[in-house]
This record gives sequence, structure tokens and C-alpha cells, in this order.
Amino acid sequence: MRIATITFQQNATSQMQELQAALAKTQNDLSTGKKLHSAADDPAAMTSVNQLNVQLSASQQYVTNGNYASSNLKLEAQAMSDATNVLQSARDLAIQANSATLPAAQRQNIATQLAQQLQSLVAIGNRVDSSGNYLFAGTASGTVPFAQSGNTVAYSGSSSVSQVQISPNQRISSGDTGAAVFMNIPAGNGTFTTAGAATNTGTGSIGVGAVVSPGAWVPDTYTISFTSPTTYSATNSAGTVVTSGTAFKDGDSISFMGVQVPITGTPAAGDTFTVAKAGNASAFNTLQGLITTLSSPTLSSAQLSSQIGGALQQIDAAMTNLNNVSASVGARINSITASQSTAQTVQTSLKTSVSQLSDVDYAAAITQLNTEELSLQAAQSSYASIAKLSLFNYVK
Amino acid sequence: MSDILSTSVSGLLAFQRALSVTSNNVSNVATPGYSVENANFTPQPGQVTSVGYFGSGVAIESVTRSYDELLAGQVRSSQSGYSSFNTYATQAGQIVNMLSSSSTGLTASLQAFVNALHTVANSPSSTPQRQVLLSQAQGLAQQMQNYSSQLSTYGAGIESQLSGAVTQINTLSTGIASLNGQIAAGLASTGQTPNTLMDQRDKMVDQLSQYVTVNTATQADGSMNVYIGSGQSLVTGSSSQQLTAFQSPYNAAQHGIGIVSGGSTTDVTSQISGGSLGGLLAVRSQVLQPVQNTLGQFSVGLATLVNQAQQGGMDLTGAAGTPMFAVGPVVTASASSNTGAATIAVTRTSLSSLTADDYTLRQTGGAWQLTDQTTGKVVTMTGSGTAANPFLAAGVSIVVGGGAAANGDSFLIQPTAGAAGGLAVLLTSPAQIAAASSIQTTAAAANTGTGTVSASLVTNPATWVPGTYKVSFTSATQYQITNSSTNTVIGTGTYTSGTPITFNGASVTLQGTPATGDTFTVGSASSSSVGDNSNAFALIDSLSAANFNGGTTSLSNVANNLVSQIGVLTQQAQSNASAQKSVNQSATDTRNNLSGVNLDEEAAKLVQYQQAYSACAQLIQTSGTMFNSLISAVHG
Repeated sequence: MRIATITFQQNATSQMQELQAALAKTQNDLSTGKKLHSAADDPAAMTSVNQLNVQLSASQQYVTNGNYASSNLKLEAQAMSDATNVLQSARDLAIQANSATLPAAQRQNIATQLAQQLQSLVAIGNRVDSSGNYLFAGTASGTVPFAQSGNTVAYSGSSSVSQVQISPNQRISSGDTGAAVFMNIPAGNGTFTTAGAATNTGTGSIGVGAVVSPGAWVPDTYTISFTSPTTYSATNSAGTVVTSGTAFKDGDSISFMGVQVPITGTPAAGDTFTVAKAGNASAFNTLQGLITTLSSPTLSSAQLSSQIGGALQQIDAAMTNLNNVSASVGARINSITASQSTAQTVQTSLKTSVSQLSDVDYAAAITQLNTEELSLQAAQSSYASIAKLSLFNYVK
Repeated sequence: MSDILSTSVSGLLAFQRALSVTSNNVSNVATPGYSVENANFTPQPGQVTSVGYFGSGVAIESVTRSYDELLAGQVRSSQSGYSSFNTYATQAGQIVNMLSSSSTGLTASLQAFVNALHTVANSPSSTPQRQVLLSQAQGLAQQMQNYSSQLSTYGAGIESQLSGAVTQINTLSTGIASLNGQIAAGLASTGQTPNTLMDQRDKMVDQLSQYVTVNTATQADGSMNVYIGSGQSLVTGSSSQQLTAFQSPYNAAQHGIGIVSGGSTTDVTSQISGGSLGGLLAVRSQVLQPVQNTLGQFSVGLATLVNQAQQGGMDLTGAAGTPMFAVGPVVTASASSNTGAATIAVTRTSLSSLTADDYTLRQTGGAWQLTDQTTGKVVTMTGSGTAANPFLAAGVSIVVGGGAAANGDSFLIQPTAGAAGGLAVLLTSPAQIAAASSIQTTAAAANTGTGTVSASLVTNPATWVPGTYKVSFTSATQYQITNSSTNTVIGTGTYTSGTPITFNGASVTLQGTPATGDTFTVGSASSSSVGDNSNAFALIDSLSAANFNGGTTSLSNVANNLVSQIGVLTQQAQSNASAQKSVNQSATDTRNNLSGVNLDEEAAKLVQYQQAYSACAQLIQTSGTMFNSLISAVHG
């Protein structure tokens, strides 16, 4: 076959240029550590890398979010544990005060101590996080949540809390409102509350009572009136008699509308007791009520016992509530930890996938570099020796 | 003896000429486009005698070049293919490199913006975190503006290359026509082919094939007719037609390709294929415009979604949220050929119907017709084009105003092309980020159930009527919504924990089990809700929702699909360019192997002709010796 001299020259040059370009590309891959430089190199891989990087970045953000929520929840858990301790001390003091033989001065002394416990509890409710945001103010994080005015502590925070996203499809509350932690504690036994009238003259004292037939209970305020130590009737708010009896004796329980309330002691004629639909009692107001009770020198021992008993029950309810919220906080911290640990695993696998798609395989790349180097050397040396061949060298 | 002398002289002359051809070949060994020439020997007619014919030497009949029309055609067509794909790949490669960085690409920037939203959500009252979000928003807007201006630069480059290519084509076609004239004249006067002129002409046609696909037809008089596109005649004999890069009727900065003939210009843009001209036109319509438009679609989406959520929220100062992003408007242009007085006003209406295509609105037989330029299909419009009842199609609303339109008047509508360049951040202070919801829901203090509020949001600022509303539970699973100011029930429903209760453009989510009689009051948020982040989540959610292309594609996917689409086009162009390069290489080799000079061959011919020349010279001497022998024999 006839080969034009120019063909040989041109082909040798263009082949060497191509080999040099290939060497430059392999060298670039090796020096950057990447094999994917542009979407044109491998559009499918580039699209996947972009998506994986977005997932990776989002996952890292979720871990950061989790850390933030976790630190807030731990502060909250600490505050609630402190609040439980305060309530426990208050409970001990209440038990100490619940003795008919205790002199009034001693009770006053206990009331003073309780006032300090109340201050501590308010201070706990007004705790702030590291950025100065109130822990228990809900979304009104710049507003002091609890303020004491006279004998009541009012909540000024909001009734909603911020959420934090801790995984692609999980958002959790990064806190709890002061209302849920300290304010909305079911009063009485949760269904109804009981109380003796302040004007009672007998020794009758009403217990907490229990619901025996939830279906029969109609929320309302019921009044049990004694017309003699043994005769009573219970009426609802409309004045309708719901039950009555004539043979009451100390320790009997009065049953009506699916509930049962025990009365101990001997009521005097004209004494009344109320059974009302349970509302909410705040932990602060329970303590404040106890302080008022203990500071009052005029209460009979029956009234004292009944009111301290009610307060003790409310303190227990407040502690139960704190316990419940703490459990939920603990569960949230656990779920953050779990989702963070999942995120770590996911991130490792995402990074591996990104690396497989975009990083250079050094062993393969170096082998390729060597092969290309060898080809270029061979091309150069063969060109140099073939280029010398010409018939003109021999035509003398 | 005289016949020996004259025969030898004819040989001397012939070999001298043959050696001259060989030396010319050797001299042109490196000349591109040179075709090797051969001296064609022919014996001189013999003289008749009684004993037979005696030859009377040799002559050079002609000098011809080694050339094959078919092989030259193959080189040209592969050259056109290669330069088309190569131009495409080079231009598209710049754009794809701009878009595809995995660390600074669009999807990464969008995710950084979303991450900044999460950071604000974690600590909504923190100004530094809000500043980070604002900076990310500015970064995103700046990135879109940079992309847009970079694309404009590429676009301007493509337009100037188009004009440059047209100028080159015109120079070459004029040159070819002129050479055609000289070749035809030379052939007619001498009967011999003017090889050098023909080589020159072939070289020019080769060069022409780099700019556009050419077809040639050689005529009997030696001239060559050249056609481009789908048979448009560029050179006929010694006359040539001029190409022109004319301004688009809608946009003076954009060019179409036309052939000027008899003072009028015929648009042949759609018929041009191959060569750098074809590559430039293809990359403009397949890569540049779609990228610009899709980036616009992305920008419109980002701005619309973020602004809507912003407007449903409340900022750090307690004021209603204001739009975060401004975006470039719909670009419209009336054709320069319009004779009527009609004007159009176009606004975007629907994100999910918005496309990345351009449209033309044309008055045809008294009716307006909308055509998608990318698909070439007619798009059905609803409405009548009046301000009260505008045309609605493709996610835009079109109001035709001004005066009457003439038949054939048309307008270009680019719903997204100008959007990315106009993306800018409107917020000036970090406090203006509306992380909080503009409404809040409060549980009544007397509630006895466990129902808690988990979110309350304005999801549609357009239908939200500010006021106070009460959600009351008539049983543990049934609720009713009352407008507190008018005391009218505006809705009832069945409660499911965690499922939003929606009314009047608001959405309230409760959790837990409310008791009968429990109430929740929905009202304007208190300015003290600085720790509320529910609107920040509304922002995050709207950005990840599938709001595009009929509700199938999310914002992030719009960006990623673009990278993938342009990546595939570029990759195809690169591999086609590489394939065409091999084809061209092989066609060039085949042609060169026929037409190129081989030095060894020339060396062999040199030796052959040199020896023959020496032999002829020797014969002259022999004839002299014979003559001397005769003279001395006569003189004795």
C-alpha cells in the first residue's frame, strides 16, 4: 500500500498528541484524587453524587439539630429533677406540719420554709438556656414565664414549643411549656376535687374519693349537706338531689353519680362538703395554698388535716407530672441519640458511595499512567527511528 | 542518424520535464492540499518505412494530479461532522463545568440555604444565625446572577462566532467562484487541467466544510458547484451567493442565518447543519437557552416558595413577613415585522405549570395562537386575553392590550429566561426573616384533656383573614371552628392527633387527646413569640415539596435534572466528536495515501529519470560517434 510521507508525519504527531492528552488527564485525576470533574464525564454519576452530597449535608445538619435539642432537653431534665427535689422537701414539710399537736408557731415556721421552697420552684421555672432563652416559656422564649403576684403565680409563656428536625422525617419538641410542666396538673384525683366548707363546725373531714363507675360520672359541682350528724343529701348545681342518707357514721363513703367520697369524723348539722369537676392546679398554687393554710391560726384541726391532705395529694400529682414529662424528655433524648447513631451509619455509607463514584482508584490510575507513559515512549522512539528512513539517504 | 539524434533529444526534453515534475513533488512534500503530480509519457508517432514503423521518441502528453472526488467528499463530510460536534462539545463543556461542581453547584447551594434555615429554626431568636441565613440567601442570589451573566457572555461569544463563521464562508465562497472562473478559462484555452488552481480550490472547499456541511458537483467546464444545508446553492460556476447573519425579529442581539439572493434574504437557519456553524446553532438552542430558562425556572420557584412562606409568617420584631427574593419578570418582545398596534402583558401564575420553554403568540386569521418553540406544538389557552379574563397557559397569564393586531403579528414570550439574572434579596435586616408563625393557638386554661398545640401556621397568606377563631371539641373526636368576632361556626371536622385542622388558609396541628369541651383559640401571634420556628419549617417544607412540572419535581431536582441533561448532551457531543475525528482521520489518510507525496517513490523516479536522461545523452554522443565514423570513412 502506498503511504504518503505526510500521512506518516501527521499520524505520528496526532497520535503522540492524543497520548499526551491522555497522560495529562490521568495525571490530573491522580493529582486531584477525583475522576469525576464535570457532569460530561459521567452525567449519571454526577447526578448521583449531587444527590448523595445533598443527603449527606442534610444528615449532618440533622445531627447538629439533634445536638442542639439534646442540650436543651438535658437542661430541662435537670431543671425538672431540681423541681422534684424542691417538691419532695415541700412534701416532707407538709407531713411534718400535718400533726394536730404541732403548735401554731411551729406551723408558721414551716410555712416560712415552704415560702422559700416556692421561691426556688419559681426560679427553676424561670431558668434560661445558654443563649438566655427561657427554658419553660415555650415559643415566647424572651418572656419571663412565671411571675408571682400576691398569692398566685401566673404563666406568661406560650402554649406551644419549638420543634427541631432530627432526621429526614422526624421532628421533636425541643422543650416543654411551663404550662405543661408546672401549671396543668390535674387537681384532686383527676376527675373531681373535694373540699369541706370553711364554715364547717363539726370534725368531719372529706377524703380524696374515687371514681367507681366512670360512665355514670357527670362533671358538675355537687354539694353534700348535713342536716344532722347522720342525715345528709347531695345535690348538683341545679339543686337536684342525686343521693341522700340518714344513717351516716364516721368513716362511711357517700356514693353518687359513679363516684365515692369518704368522710371521716363527725360532721355537725349545717356542714357542707363539695365535690367538683377537677380542673388544673399549678404546683406553685398548691404550695401557696399550703402556706396560706399553715399560716392561718383559725383553722380547726379537721380543716387543717383535710387541707394538708389535699395539698399532699396535689404535691404528689405535681411530682407525678414532672416524672411523666421527664420520661418524655428522656425518651426524646434517646430518640435523638438513636437517630444520630443512624445518621452516622448513613453518613459513612453516603461518603463511601460518593467516593466510589467520584474518587480516583489510585491503583488503576497509576497502572493506566504507566501504560500511557510506555505507549508515548514507544511512539516517540519508533517515530525517531522511522523518520530517518529515506531512499534519498542512499541516492548519491 | 538524425533520427537517433532527434529521438534522443525528445527523450532528454521529456525526462527533463519529468524531473521537473518530480522536483515539484519533492518540494511540495509538506504542502497541505497538494496532490501529487505525474508526468504522463507518450511515444511519438512512428515513421513508416517499407520495413515497418520506426518510433520517433517520447513526449510528455500531460501532467495530471492524483485525485479522487469521492475520497475528497468523505474527508469533507467527516470534517463537517467533527467540527460541528467539537464546537458543540467545547461550548457545552464550558456551561456544564460551570454548573456541575459538586461543592459549589446549585444543589449544594440550595442545601446550604436549607441548612441555614434549620439553624435559624434551632435558635429562632438568635441574630447571628439569622445573619447566616441572610448571607446564604444573598450567596444563592449572587450565584444565579453570576450564572446568568456568564451565560450571557457565552451567548455573546456564540453570536460573534456565528458572524465570524458567516464572514469566513463568504470569503471562501467568493474565492471558490473566482477559482472556478480561472480553471474553466485555463481548461478551455489549453485543454490541460490547471492542477495548482484545482488544488487551491479543493483546499478552500475543505476549509468551507469546517464551517458548514457542503456538497459539490463538478461541471464539464471544470468548475465546481457548491451547495450547503438542504441544497441551498452557495457557488454556481464563477458566481457565489452571500450568507448573512441577520438579527432575530425578536432580539437584535441574536442572529439567524440567511442567504442573500437578488436583494432579498431567505432564512435558512433551520436548514444549516454540520460544521462549526451547525454546532453553534445547535448548542445555542439545545444547551444555552434551556440552561438559562431552567435556571430561571429554579429562581422563580425559589422566590415564589420562599416569599409565600415568608408572607405567612412573622418576623423577629412582630411584623408580618415580607418577600425575601425579587426575581426577573417575564421577558416579552414584539416582532420587528409587526404592523398592528397590539401589545401584551405577561405575568406568571402557576409554578407547577411553568416550563423552561419559550413561546410565540401569533395573530392568525383573527385568533391568537400560542406555540411552544421547543416542541413546536400549539398550546391551548383558556380565557379571552382581556384583563378581566386573560389567556392562561403554560403557567402564565397573557393580557393583550394596545390597539388592533395585524394578521401575522407575533410576540416572543420567555416566561423564565430573564428570571435568574433578576434574582436578588429584598430583606435588609436579619430580623426580617419570618421564622415565627403569624398566628398562634392557645389552649384554654380550663382544658382537661391532653391535647397540646404542635403547630399553627398561615399556609396561604392570600386566603387568611386575620381574626380570632376558636376550635372547640364537641366530643373527643369532633371539633368545630367558630369565628369569635362574628360568633359563626365556619367549619366542623373529625379530629386525628397530628393531622392539621385547616380553615381560611390557616393550618393548626394538635396532638394528644382533647376532652369534650376543651377549646383552643387561634389568633394573631403575640410579638413575644420570638422562639417560634414553625414558619421556618414551613419554608423548609415548601422547598422540598414537589412543586414543579405538574407537581412531580422538587426545586433540588430541577437543578439536578438540568446538570444531568446538559451533562448527557455534552458527553454525547464529546463522544460523537471523537468518533468523527477518527472517521475524518481515516478518510484523510485514505485521501493522502492517494494524493500525497511519497519521498521514496520520488527518489526512485529521480533515479529512473536521471538514468534515462544520461542514457539519452549517451545516445546523442553515440550518434555523433556514428557520424564521425561515417565522415572518416568517406574522407578515408
